[in-house]
Amino acid sequence: MSLETVDSEGQHIASAVSDEVVINLSQVNKWYGDFHVLKDIDLTVYKGERIVICGPSGSGKSTLIRCINRLEEHQRGDIQVNGVTMDTNLKNIDAIRRDVGMVFQQFNLFPHLTVLENCTLAPIWVKNMAKSEAESVAMTLLERVQIPEQAAKYPGQLSGGQQQRVAIARSLAMNPNIMLFDEPTSALDPEMISEVLDVMVGLAESGMTMLVVTHEMGFAKRVADRVIFMDQGEIVEQNTPDEFFNNPKSDRTKLFLSQILAH
Amino acid sequence: MAELTHTDAVFTPKPSQPPPPNTVGVVGWLRKNLFGGPFDSVMTIIGAGLLAYFAYGLFQYTIVNAVWEADSYRECLDVTQGAGACWAGVDKWMNNYLYGRYPDAEQWRVNLGGIILAVWLAPFWFEKVTQKIAVGVSAVLTYPFLAGALFLGGDNGLFMQAMSSVALTLFAAVWLNVAACYSGRRSLGAVLVQVTGFAGKDDRLYKWVYLAAFAVGFVVAFIFQSTWNLAPVQTTNWGGLFLTLVISGIGISTALPSGVILALGRRSKMPVIRVFCTAFIELFRSVPLITILFMAVTMMPLFLPVTLNPDKLVLVIVAVCIFAAAYMAEIVRGGLQAINTGQYEAARAVGLNYWKMMTLIVMPQALKLMIPNIVGNFIGLLKDTTLVSIIGLYDILLMVRASGQDPKWLGMHTEPMLFAAFVFFVICFAMSKYSQHLERTIGGGYGRR
Repeated sequence: MSLETVDSEGQHIASAVSDEVVINLSQVNKWYGDFHVLKDIDLTVYKGERIVICGPSGSGKSTLIRCINRLEEHQRGDIQVNGVTMDTNLKNIDAIRRDVGMVFQQFNLFPHLTVLENCTLAPIWVKNMAKSEAESVAMTLLERVQIPEQAAKYPGQLSGGQQQRVAIARSLAMNPNIMLFDEPTSALDPEMISEVLDVMVGLAESGMTMLVVTHEMGFAKRVADRVIFMDQGEIVEQNTPDEFFNNPKSDRTKLFLSQILAH
Repeated sequence: MAELTHTDAVFTPKPSQPPPPNTVGVVGWLRKNLFGGPFDSVMTIIGAGLLAYFAYGLFQYTIVNAVWEADSYRECLDVTQGAGACWAGVDKWMNNYLYGRYPDAEQWRVNLGGIILAVWLAPFWFEKVTQKIAVGVSAVLTYPFLAGALFLGGDNGLFMQAMSSVALTLFAAVWLNVAACYSGRRSLGAVLVQVTGFAGKDDRLYKWVYLAAFAVGFVVAFIFQSTWNLAPVQTTNWGGLFLTLVISGIGISTALPSGVILALGRRSKMPVIRVFCTAFIELFRSVPLITILFMAVTMMPLFLPVTLNPDKLVLVIVAVCIFAAAYMAEIVRGGLQAINTGQYEAARAVGLNYWKMMTLIVMPQALKLMIPNIVGNFIGLLKDTTLVSIIGLYDILLMVRASGQDPKWLGMHTEPMLFAAFVFFVICFAMSKYSQHLERTIGGGYGRR
């Protein structure tokens, strides 16, 4: 259903990929206890590139992007973000997190703060920005996600789609150069999915580097420069959306696509 | 099928109807809660009867048959034959119940200390006042020093002088802030910034304005308090309700901050801190308060240098604080565990470090959840402090018992106990009600999330 709604809105938006590497993963391995969740992951992301990661649940796709801002710790291999190597040095981790925004499936807005305070908190406390400046930046972003009128409300008073748009504005307030999306529309009512996807499409048009874990294949077709298919902790196949959807190489990908596109 | 679908072109929702009349209002409440069926009705009538019987007895004893004027318990008994209370004795002893053996001529200092605290915290209830957290924090951190200087009198050294000057400065700041808020400004800070001409400039400079204003206030306060000449009153003369409130007040105000630190320590990833905090909490939680009190007053002095000569009251207060902190730590830990991991992740993802994440995101949410438990703990602590009577501190409970051994009032036990019970009930009930009020009001409108 969502496939058609997004598709009907337009063609694939113009790619803005440069040859500057912003994220580089080489031979990344991660275990949860005995469970080998990421196996020898190699991934290079270029500035402005929009990557959609899909795959069955438990395939490690969320874990993969959560390793990029160190919400999960990898045990073997190298991760470089914006040229900074991810290690146990807290300064490096803080530097990476300042430049990498993240949007969660469950929004994770701060419920005790208003929408505006949600968006100004990090700029004020992390970037030491003046409050007045942070507020004007936040209002600009809330206008961009089309909910400036909700600024004084608390997250609990908003709908799911509105909350997720606030979450996007909150991440953008730190002026990141990379955005990670961890199934941003999976917890939303069907009526609200498109309002969030529209904001994400707008973000893609502005040239943001994006890594999106999602099941919205319409979004992938329209926005992605590259689609990555993961299963059992491995990258099974990666290709342009055109090739990926019309001409999948591996049998596992074909099976996956036939299952999600069957209805 | 036709009935199941709206056939009109435009969907018009049905108007809302009022609920059936006997399910709402007074009648609805009575039906639901008291007379839900024959069994409920019988139980309600029996319960109401018993309640009326006891209330009548209490009324007869405490009011109708009570004696208000007498010079000894004997005189009271002659009048009442034991069927009424002898409030005359309670009245004669009242001063001791409230102040212990604090000299009559100096009791105004205790009253003044109480008034200062009440006035300090009053802005909490003022609608327009901003920065209420600062009001509470300033009072908790500095008021004990001011009160200590006031209650002890005499010369307590430079540190106490400095700290009570800080307290006076902050007290003044709290009320200047109230004045600022009610004259239409945003806060005292905003006024200061405007007066000094920093308004409109980078607000990161504002903190220097605040610091300078504080320094000026501090100097004035220091000069002011150095003119005081208060007669010293030994802590051995402190007693009654006053002593109970001093011990439990300090215990209550230190319990939360130290409990938070212990709870965070117990959840820490650093093994040394975690083991220390866990051991501290488990040790002091597994031991009765009375044991800790005995250890504090009998054993601790053996380990301390003789020259230090620690005050018994200080040892007792430290013991109560440790005990309260250990309990509070577990309450805080429970509250922390109720916070969704998503909140931690979101805070991390926007770049907050550990302490900012805790103070800005996690604690404000956790504290709201913990209010009922925290206040329950405070009420328990207030009542637990009566145990200090066992080690010979004349708190309200020991005073009450002592009055029954006064030769003139020999045998007067029930009345003072009723009085003490009444005092504790008033304080604890007020705390409980206030906590319910806090639960409703704190944190704005984020009821559902």
